[in-house]
Amino acid sequence: MLENIPVLSLILLSPLAGALLVLLLPGQRSVWLRAAALVFTLIPLALTLCLFAAYRPGVGGAAFTEHYTWLSVPLNKEMINAKSLSIAFDYHLAVDGISLPLLLLSAIVSAMALLASVHIRKRWKTFYSLFLLLETGMYGVFLARDLIEFFIFFELTLIPMFFLIGIWGYYGREKAATRFLVYNGLGSAAMLLAFLILIATAGFTAVQGADGYTVQFSGSYDVLLKNLADPQSYANNASEEMAGLGVFLSDNLKWAAFILLLVAFGIKIPIFPLHTWMLRVHTEAPPSVVMIHSGVLLKMGVYGLIRFGAALFPAQLADWSTVIAVLGVINILYGAVLACVQKEFKLVLAYSSISHMGIVLLGIASLHEVGLQGAVFQSVSHGLISALLFLLVGSLYERTGTTQLGELGGLAKSVPFLSGILLTAGLASLGLPGLSGFVGEFLAFLGLFGSMKGMTAVGVLGILFAAVYILRSVLGITFGPLQERCADIKDARFVEALPMITLTALIVLLGVYPSILTDVMQHGFVGLLEHFQQRTGG
Amino acid sequence: MSSLAEYAWLVPVFPAAAFAALTAMGRGAGRAGAWIGTLASLVSLILSLLIAGQRLSGTAEEYSNHFDWIQVGNTTLPIGFEVTNLTSLMLVVVTLVSFLVNLYSQGYMKDDERISTFFAYVALFSASMLGLVLSYNLLTMYIFWELVGVCSFLLVGFWFRKPEARAAAKKAFIVTRIGDLGLLIAILLLFWYMPNHELDFTNLHNVFGTQTGVISTGITTLIALLIFLGAVGKSGQFPLHVWLPDAMEGPTPISALIHAATMVAAGVFLVARTFDIFHASQAAMDTVAVIGAFTAIFAATIGLAQNDIKRILAYSTVSQLGYMMLALGVGSVSAAMFHLFTHAFFKALLFLGAGSVIHSVHTQDIREMGGLGGRMKITAWTFGIGALALSGIPPLAGFWSKDAVLTAALDGHPVYFVVGVVAAFFTALYMARLFFLVFAGKPRGDAHAHESPAVMTIPLVVLAVLAALAGFVQTPFNGWFGEWLTGEAEQEHASGLVIIVSTAVGLLGVYLGWLIYAKGTVRRDIVSSRMPGVVRLLERKYYVDELYHYVIVKPLEGLGKLLIAFDDYVVDGAVRLAGMSASAIGRLNTRLQSGQVQGYVLTALIGLVILALAVAGRRFW
Repeated sequence: MLENIPVLSLILLSPLAGALLVLLLPGQRSVWLRAAALVFTLIPLALTLCLFAAYRPGVGGAAFTEHYTWLSVPLNKEMINAKSLSIAFDYHLAVDGISLPLLLLSAIVSAMALLASVHIRKRWKTFYSLFLLLETGMYGVFLARDLIEFFIFFELTLIPMFFLIGIWGYYGREKAATRFLVYNGLGSAAMLLAFLILIATAGFTAVQGADGYTVQFSGSYDVLLKNLADPQSYANNASEEMAGLGVFLSDNLKWAAFILLLVAFGIKIPIFPLHTWMLRVHTEAPPSVVMIHSGVLLKMGVYGLIRFGAALFPAQLADWSTVIAVLGVINILYGAVLACVQKEFKLVLAYSSISHMGIVLLGIASLHEVGLQGAVFQSVSHGLISALLFLLVGSLYERTGTTQLGELGGLAKSVPFLSGILLTAGLASLGLPGLSGFVGEFLAFLGLFGSMKGMTAVGVLGILFAAVYILRSVLGITFGPLQERCADIKDARFVEALPMITLTALIVLLGVYPSILTDVMQHGFVGLLEHFQQRTGG
Repeated sequence: MSSLAEYAWLVPVFPAAAFAALTAMGRGAGRAGAWIGTLASLVSLILSLLIAGQRLSGTAEEYSNHFDWIQVGNTTLPIGFEVTNLTSLMLVVVTLVSFLVNLYSQGYMKDDERISTFFAYVALFSASMLGLVLSYNLLTMYIFWELVGVCSFLLVGFWFRKPEARAAAKKAFIVTRIGDLGLLIAILLLFWYMPNHELDFTNLHNVFGTQTGVISTGITTLIALLIFLGAVGKSGQFPLHVWLPDAMEGPTPISALIHAATMVAAGVFLVARTFDIFHASQAAMDTVAVIGAFTAIFAATIGLAQNDIKRILAYSTVSQLGYMMLALGVGSVSAAMFHLFTHAFFKALLFLGAGSVIHSVHTQDIREMGGLGGRMKITAWTFGIGALALSGIPPLAGFWSKDAVLTAALDGHPVYFVVGVVAAFFTALYMARLFFLVFAGKPRGDAHAHESPAVMTIPLVVLAVLAALAGFVQTPFNGWFGEWLTGEAEQEHASGLVIIVSTAVGLLGVYLGWLIYAKGTVRRDIVSSRMPGVVRLLERKYYVDELYHYVIVKPLEGLGKLLIAFDDYVVDGAVRLAGMSASAIGRLNTRLQSGQVQGYVLTALIGLVILALAVAGRRFW
């Protein structure tokens, strides 16, 4: 059914169409604006769900792919002895076992965050159009298979995000937005540099025709993957005639590209010590935007690191697996210890995100299928959990006007539903089996333990600290004597309860029946793992 | 006839369904919710009895079934259930106590506005505990292991408005989680060391029990000790016992169900389930025995000096779990499981009896009670039977099982035996003190004590019967229970010495207690007047909580504060510095853009010179 329609393009472009429509609506009609934004958020969600259902691991990825040449620029072919020489960038969309779970996560979290945007009080039109633009950016990141295309969508998430933080955030919003832009701008610069190195060397194809070579440089991910996996073929292919191009990717250049990518995506994840920007975003941005930020945008870093860092440079990753694991353990423990001593609930959650993303790094460092699946599973799970937690933060702030732990207490008496969901989300965050958090953590630890036992054992300590900071903050808010300012508040309205129940249900579903996600991922890492076996000798 | 064991998975499904229904209904369920929970536990009980009956008659094979929970490439992580004699016994114990506690709570929790939430949590606990019992591999067990932990946490903190309940719930979760980490790492180790990544108990038995040498002794010891760490956390063994007495902040039926009869025994059950791993490592066995013996006497001494009726029972539980660990450590699974079996009944009885007392007089301090025997006859009689059973007075259940443990201890090492006997004396003494202070003498409180309603006393009577008679399944003259349980005929030795000594110390303890606390011929301050330091040490529970506070909690808090400063000044400071230097360079460049042509020419000239030098330099390179 889905094969006959350009489903990936529809997913990608419908929020963009929605953004344009929102711009045409009258700015005072908040209901219209909300409805339009919701419709154009639900379309990609519905399509992604269909895609998820129709996806068959192993063959599904090939069935859903859209590939057009976007632009092709002829270069001066006099440089070499070839029929034609050009540089080409494509509009190429595809999904596989790695991107599909994250695409689905983005669609779900977007819809939930949109519902949570009831708390937005001003400039609805701008808000919703930026929000929809951000959605297109996220979908594009997970769908794009051309380096430049990926880069553009990656950047497309930054700009709406900058304004969403800077206009609708709390007191320190402008500073937070600037900090966000500076860091992510640096990351993007590093990424662009790495991409250019890749395109100029490994993005090279030469097809021998009757009257000479047709030579092309492109940002195509597939070409890069093929060339890097088998460097001899493309380097030799280009032997004498094209020696002048110097297309061979030397080891030094490979390392440079790998480290640049690690920095670029490390800022996004974020990896210690590149994390301070995200603390400010977590505390200053409006909660519905943080849902997207913590739920999806951080995962773009994970995705990029796996898609480009791991898949293109398996040898470098294997050499540096210990480094990545050490960074992961630092993230886990540093984030966890700091989360234990915060006085502001949003900061507890921010440091907890750092800690949980450390587990993702451990999964990547494992170079093992179980660990890699754990990393993606943990990303999806953390996306859902942190979205739920920030949804709750938004609702609590609306009612009590504070998220300081010292000023909250006893909410289980006055708002039992919100408190129950908060407790469930907290338990999911601390890795309770039966909820999604456990599966990702367990798989990541299990994967890494095969190669680095001591390191894993230290990392496992993180789940003890998780129990401490989650219980300390969640019980502080919901248990104990009722604080005065929390006494006369009402429990969740339907529009708030709906996303809360949905996210909770998904967290339970993934915790009880993880196969629903792991089966889809099944073949996502096959190519990557072949690399590891090929390049690292098993 | 098809084996009922195939349907054993239904046993936890009933309470799980009750939990789901009660959660969906919310608080509106009210007292109807209480009945839903009780009914579900009754159905589970009936099914468990049928399954156990089939196993007792020996007509059914052991049954195991599983499915792939997660499949990653060539790696599968299955979960599943298994019915053996050991699990069917545990099924009966758990469902029976669970049903009685459900019934009892109908009365005890009657006036609580969150009664349906209470029954929902209890149902979730029962489902998780039954899942734990039925687990066929360590992964399944870990999942339910954590779930019973979280139910315990929820129920300890059930009266969430009390800050003490909040603190106790938090402590229960975090302290047991220290143990859980050990179990988790043990699972990771086993996953990578076991052939084909198998984690099921049958394969563990094969690898560690029969084909020894597949896994080196060092790793075996490590795995065993890590599993034991999990058991230490869950079963409140020293040094992770600190959470269990605090957990008494929960409603009393919960203390009976979770913190006496079932969940805290899960650690013992875990060690029994993975016993082959322990058996393959003498070092691990010795550790289990030493920790068990030490905990038995350590907690018993603390129990002597407490005044809260539930805390005395809690320390008693810690001490009795120590006995079970001791039995495991000296190699007798059947003695440990036997003591677990009888202890479940008499300790649940004691807690429910204590609940009946608290329900009546609204205090937990035994110094404010007294003379309740006349006005609460059923409670007093049943409590008395429970106390005598715990004190090891023949022919009650506790006598036979304690006898089995002490016999095994004597076979292990004389020191274990002596420690066990001394702890048994203290046990009898603190139980006599408790009983006589509460039920004998004149009333000291001003409350109008009254007997509890039938819905609460019927469970007491049932448990009292079991506490009296359950021991006869295994006496030194009749050993079929151990054989049925472990599948191995145990050599029978009706050790006269053990029977005489343990009876003597039990009676002596009770008699001394009677002399001090009922008759008054021995003055109560006989010890405290001469050795106030010792009494204070016991009252403050050997200062273990204080030790942890200053040695672990405070330094970690300090580290946290240090890291806050580090994150703010060093990590973020470096960024700010980078930002400032960028703008400083910007300002410098602004100054160059002064509009003076001389300046521009000079800059250009300097640039040219640098370029020329660079080109020239490259040639020499």
